[in-house]
Amino acid sequence: MGLSTAAAGDGAQLCVFDLRRGQQEGQELDKILFFHPADCPILLQLSVIGLCEGIVTFTRIFSPVEDCEVIESEKHSHIFYQAEPDIWMVLVVEKTKDNELTWRCGALQGILKEAHSLFAMFHGPIRTLLDRQPSAELARGHLRTFLTDYLSDFHAGKKLQFPTYRDCLKERGTVQMLTVSREVALEVQSLTTVLGSCLGNTTCQSLVLFEDLLVSTTLPPDDTLNLYTYAVLRLTPRALSSNASSWSYLRKGTSVNAGPTSSSSNGTTAGERPLLREKLSKGKDGFVAADFATTEVRGAVPLTPILWFQQAEERMYLCIYQHKSLTILLLIPASSLINGEEGIAHVKKQMLENASQKIVTVEQKLTRGWGGENAYHVAGYRYLLVDPDRRISRASPPGKVTTLAKDSLLALNRLRQEVDLEKSRYKRSDPCHDNDFEVCIRTKSNAWVIAKITRGRELYMALEKGGETLLYASTAVEKFSNRYCEGAFSTD
Amino acid sequence: MLGNQMQGGLGTPGALSHAYVQHPPLRCDIPDIRGLFYDDANKFLIAPTADRILYWKIVPSIPPGPPNSDPVNEGPVLSVRYSLDHKVIGIQRSRHEIEFRNRETGETCSKKCRADSETILGFFWTDCPTCDVILVKTSGLDLLAYEPQSHAFRLVESKKFNVSWYLYTHESRLILLASGMQCTMFTGYQFSAGGIVKIPKFEMMMSKTEANNKPVLAADDVHIVTVYGRIYCLQLDRVSTSLNLYRFYRDAVVQQCTLPTYSSRIAVSAVDNIIMVHQIDAKVVILYDVSLDSYAPVSAPLPLLVRGLPSNSRQPSQTADSQSSAYGGTIYGDGWNFLIPDLICDAENGLLWRLHLDLEAIAASSSDAPSVLEFLQRRKSDASMVKTTCLSIVRTIILERRPVTMVAKAMDVVLDSYSRLMKMGGGLPGVRRTHEQSQQLGSQPVEGSHVISQETSPATTVSPSVNPDQAGGVVNRSAQANSGVDHGIDRAALNTSSDSDEITNVSGVTSQGTSGYQTSDAINKRQQVAGEDSRPLSSGTSMQHGQHAGSVAISPIEMFQSVFALVEDEMMGDPAYLTAVIMEFLRSASKAGLKVPPNIYVMMATLLARSNRYAEIALFVSNKILEPSKELAMQLMELGQHHPPTRKLGLDMLRERSLHHDYVAALLQDGYYLEALRYARKYKVITVQPALFLEKAVANNSAQNLAAVLSFFCEFTPSFKATSDFGRYRHILSEMV
Repeated sequence: MGLSTAAAGDGAQLCVFDLRRGQQEGQELDKILFFHPADCPILLQLSVIGLCEGIVTFTRIFSPVEDCEVIESEKHSHIFYQAEPDIWMVLVVEKTKDNELTWRCGALQGILKEAHSLFAMFHGPIRTLLDRQPSAELARGHLRTFLTDYLSDFHAGKKLQFPTYRDCLKERGTVQMLTVSREVALEVQSLTTVLGSCLGNTTCQSLVLFEDLLVSTTLPPDDTLNLYTYAVLRLTPRALSSNASSWSYLRKGTSVNAGPTSSSSNGTTAGERPLLREKLSKGKDGFVAADFATTEVRGAVPLTPILWFQQAEERMYLCIYQHKSLTILLLIPASSLINGEEGIAHVKKQMLENASQKIVTVEQKLTRGWGGENAYHVAGYRYLLVDPDRRISRASPPGKVTTLAKDSLLALNRLRQEVDLEKSRYKRSDPCHDNDFEVCIRTKSNAWVIAKITRGRELYMALEKGGETLLYASTAVEKFSNRYCEGAFSTD
Repeated sequence: MLGNQMQGGLGTPGALSHAYVQHPPLRCDIPDIRGLFYDDANKFLIAPTADRILYWKIVPSIPPGPPNSDPVNEGPVLSVRYSLDHKVIGIQRSRHEIEFRNRETGETCSKKCRADSETILGFFWTDCPTCDVILVKTSGLDLLAYEPQSHAFRLVESKKFNVSWYLYTHESRLILLASGMQCTMFTGYQFSAGGIVKIPKFEMMMSKTEANNKPVLAADDVHIVTVYGRIYCLQLDRVSTSLNLYRFYRDAVVQQCTLPTYSSRIAVSAVDNIIMVHQIDAKVVILYDVSLDSYAPVSAPLPLLVRGLPSNSRQPSQTADSQSSAYGGTIYGDGWNFLIPDLICDAENGLLWRLHLDLEAIAASSSDAPSVLEFLQRRKSDASMVKTTCLSIVRTIILERRPVTMVAKAMDVVLDSYSRLMKMGGGLPGVRRTHEQSQQLGSQPVEGSHVISQETSPATTVSPSVNPDQAGGVVNRSAQANSGVDHGIDRAALNTSSDSDEITNVSGVTSQGTSGYQTSDAINKRQQVAGEDSRPLSSGTSMQHGQHAGSVAISPIEMFQSVFALVEDEMMGDPAYLTAVIMEFLRSASKAGLKVPPNIYVMMATLLARSNRYAEIALFVSNKILEPSKELAMQLMELGQHHPPTRKLGLDMLRERSLHHDYVAALLQDGYYLEALRYARKYKVITVQPALFLEKAVANNSAQNLAAVLSFFCEFTPSFKATSDFGRYRHILSEMV
């Protein structure tokens, strides 16, 4: 295939296409909703999408229910994700001999899922956009700006750099929670109540974050996850000071905003380009908003972004308030605000009046109890805990993970890949029944890599410099489980 | 609205009054008696006849029956006071003589003063360690010790100064001695079990008339009042028609404020730590609650009501006159004497009433729920009614969906009050009060300061008697105290303190001494902090406080049972509001360091699940806002029937709480029989029937698993092979293979 040459400059391609469009010969171009890199020749684009469509159609013969997830060829991997019925996102990554680029299919698929979820949160489902405007200009426009902004986080130099085996102790698509004492949790809930009543009769939803960690939410898990992801990408104090090096797993190194991003940014607003990093800043009143001083405001576009919540089934305005390390995302149901911006200004005022004191108190208490970036480090362990039901995870701090030997990381990445397969196998056989399993592997460099799934919860860890017996490994897991997981992974 | 709901009191149709007396009164109009006297130390209402002393003990309640009696010698009676141990009766016979009679032996002795140079103003018994009787004369005080064997009095000490008139209440153990041209210069002592405290001399404020003639302060215009264990003095300034309120500390007397009056005559009572200022001419009463040093009236001036009169039943507005006619006397009539602390003696008609607060009406008069609750939580009388009212207020504000912040404040008030009580060792209301007091006092600690307070015991009340003559005038029906000294009960004279507390700010007297209750930490802390001398004189706990001990406080369990459980159904339409309220309740409880019953968590989880807020349930379980318990775990499993993650929360909770049997049973129920088996083996759970495991294995249609389960039980439970289950499932297994 001639794909590699054209994509060589970038090393990766991302496309979004709709199988319900362009089914007549000669209209194939109509299928394409988004293609990265944008300067890729049309013929090449068509070729990539034609291949993908072929694979999708072909695999459906064998697996009518489960989608095709990945196709490995000699030089590329194609990662598939059916974001909406017949709307596919495909990520094509180049394989090299250099095993620095060893990744895990699930992690890459996670990127596609995340990109789509965020897109849908800001713009609604793609299908809805297409139905609203069959020419697809609207959908293409939004996808272009949004995904370009999104991908800007993965730029390393000129290339897109996606998570590799080095990120095997991270789980995209989960929320990281701050552990707080009961007393503080009650204070936070009390604050949440006040926030909820800012609008009078209708209850406002809210998320409270401290640093990059979630403290409380009133939204269902999926919506919480999307909003949390957005906040960590763009809104928390760390994200706002984008020059600061980030310990967030979502960005690696310093982020460089791609040229095309900024050049196409003129005249757009936060409502349209929520991921445009340089437009967001914290105002004097403590609210974070897009900075419009340099931008011509388009009359009809609301300044405050409106979000679509799938699980909550509502459209809501998003107000972001920040006090020191505390970030509050206040969501105002759009249906209950008739007069748009004016109403939002009123709600903001109410919020400042009613909640300021509590916000200060809560921030102080959280700061007092905050253990810093390494708060969740457990000496001797490098771990990742995932609770897929609640979509939360907790992991060793990135700084500690980097101390692991390359060999251990590669082994753990392999193990995770296997576990992913095993999980989907179990899921197919009996979706309602949790299957427990446990794998402990001794690597060549004498480290233990361990995966354990118990009652749906997952624990991955790497232990270096440990004893050589299996008993040592399982005791280590048992200790960890009793100490930090309330016995969730203890051996029965 | 609160009001209407709460008001259920008798005879108060439409908040007519906040204070009342209850019909029928004690009738003490026995023929042949020569006046009524009141012994405030013993709380005796005393009626002398020619050769006997009749008396009613009117605490804790006014007795229905006939009076007790003691024979005495014939002769004039100016006042009567029983000793604190009731063994001796002191009778003032004239301005120069007091007779003491031993009640057992009938022996008498008398104490006279020099007829030429001094007269006896009165006397009272004291529990002060160095003396038993204080004789108040125009020339000073004589401190006498009683010697029981010889039935004689020994002069311990004599304090010389001029006295125009004096005021004493046993409640405060405080005597104020007036001197000077206008009688505005005061010397004071507190004679308490802790010793004698001299209060610095001070002068009361008197406005000048235009004519510049100087009015003389009368004993009737000064009232000692003891509330919250603190001692205050109210002084009526007739010229400016205002009332000066002073507070006594050990090292100072501090004027607190000036209150308005609407009458040229006032009387003061203290009911349940509320100061009642009776505006006699205006026939209304104004209530003050000084606990937080706030001197605003509790409510508007309202008339005093006689409750329970036959004609009183259904008429909304009963005028004082019509009431009076019904009971046969006049409300605030000339014959009314106000006895310490909360009694009214109608000397003309021979009636004794006790004053009451209509707390329901007071609560109803304000819609500021948190302050009403604070007010009620400070009350000691009628604890069950106060509690009921408080609970109903909390319910009402929830049902009316008042702002959550306001409900939160109300919860704080209720739970703080409860936790304070618990910290004080539960149940000692007095203690709690004291604690508050001490806070308010802000006094500075002094060393050695003793509060002069005394217990309720037998101190005598001194009525502010003026001269004996005057006392005599009062006579017809004055009440008097047994034990010691008698004083006529002039109405003015009667401010007594029932219990002792005293308070002086004054010089470093410490308040600790007597009042046992005062020992609370708070006080000590205060004192330390303040460091200086001005400690308030504390009075001992008053009987009032003591009597109705602290069941006013509402426990978290009661909050659950009488508030949340009751409003739950009605709030179904708005579960979000109720969960927010419960959250505030939990916050208050946690702040106050109180445990709440698991039921509240069960309710919370149920409410959240009903609004599909499962994610929040998980959040609250993980941060322990919903504290783990078996009840909650079971409820989570129930709620999780259609929401597996929530069911898992319940399961995990069972495991974390080590409820092995329930955990195994729940695992089995969900079909995890192998996991259940492993768990049962590890924790030796033998209470779950093997048949349940076997049944699941059969249902799973796996011969291998069934065989494994069978052989497990054969090893795990030796007797298993003998059971019918073994045979049956082995048979099933053989058919499966």
